Amino acid sequence: MNKGTLPIIARLQSLQSAARVAPGGARVIASISDQSPLAALLREVNETMLGRALAFESSNGTSLTLEVSGRRVLRLTAANGLSGVDSCLSAQALEDEHKDDLIKLLQSVAAPRCELRVSASRIGREREEVSIGLPVALLADLLLIDLNLPEAASEPGLEPEPPPELEPKALPRSKVRLPPAASEPGPGLATGPMLGRFARGCSPALIAWLIVGGEEDGTTDGPEEMISHLQGFLEVEGEALSLQLDQISTEPGTPVCIQLGATLTEGHSILCARSGEGFLLGVIEGDGTQTLMRAWAAALA
Amino acid sequence: MGVIESLGAVVKAYPQARAVAFADLSSSMILASQGRDDVTQEILDRLCKQARASFDDPLFSLSVEAFGEPHGAIVMGLESVRVFLRSESEPADALCCICDHGIDLAGFVARIRETLEHITAGG
Repeated sequence: MNKGTLPIIARLQSLQSAARVAPGGARVIASISDQSPLAALLREVNETMLGRALAFESSNGTSLTLEVSGRRVLRLTAANGLSGVDSCLSAQALEDEHKDDLIKLLQSVAAPRCELRVSASRIGREREEVSIGLPVALLADLLLIDLNLPEAASEPGLEPEPPPELEPKALPRSKVRLPPAASEPGPGLATGPMLGRFARGCSPALIAWLIVGGEEDGTTDGPEEMISHLQGFLEVEGEALSLQLDQISTEPGTPVCIQLGATLTEGHSILCARSGEGFLLGVIEGDGTQTLMRAWAAALA
Repeated sequence: MGVIESLGAVVKAYPQARAVAFADLSSSMILASQGRDDVTQEILDRLCKQARASFDDPLFSLSVEAFGEPHGAIVMGLESVRVFLRSESEPADALCCICDHGIDLAGFVARIRETLEHITAGG
């Protein structure tokens, strides 16, 4: 397997994880059996570009809150059950002199054989300066953690085990099936509710999807594990998602669709659309850009 | 080639691109733009806010958790297609584009990705 695909496969596996959300809405980023909760913590910081307060809570009773932005740890704003927090807590911005103390705190919270949870909240725009703080890459280097590899590979001396290939076609599929999809939206697809037409028109690039709300509520297609994760996301984040779609819409109340991904033309992307009361959420594989645009135009027609 | 020239070259190559703007997402500010005359500053300001919202939660977190950090977004509405790309090396740098339906999206995305990295590299 191409080494470059390892992070993607690891994330796809996490997408299919059955239990990722802890009571209270926090996400579980490391379970008791994980070899390196610390790597999971640093990857969480590494994947946070916009300003966020990340509250990490361990099952050992300790917790801390970091303000992060642009792959940097800007500040430590709260800590519970930890000693040696004063220098970091009192700093307006974390600098090189704080890195050793901060690492000790991170190691205490992200202790082995403990479940680690994270919840994120926004921070004020004025607190987002990205020219300050400690780069997560620096912390990872000091801790000998590779931010881009699955956990097993980040343990010194351990060869990364090749993760099992994902075989979406072999996974059990959801019970609600749709008619076979055409590779391009044709005249026959321009019937029925809009989101379903759009989803069918996006096939085969759209490998898993579901519709929540509206007259097509409960319509799904794709691997059950993926559908289940998407369903859970909508249950938890439905209101926030609606607000986000309001912000990207040019005209309130009109249909809107967003594809969000690393490159948009390779790998996987998230697809989300809203029409009336209905939400469509799905996963796109490969380059679906042209198919999506045609399907969208056909669905609107 | 300067920023304006780079953006202008994209518009010239893709006439269905109504506007191509270089923005700083951290300050939500359009720094340079090229395109049709009817694209006003107010439209560009709104475009920049939409770009920032596109790379925000909850979809940002879902994408990160599932596939890694997103650097591209395509937003489709009734009237237009908007494409937002963030630089991989300087995540606050972004290109924000308004296009007509029917544009060659795959080719356009590849072109503006190249343009963005060129601009970010100081070219």
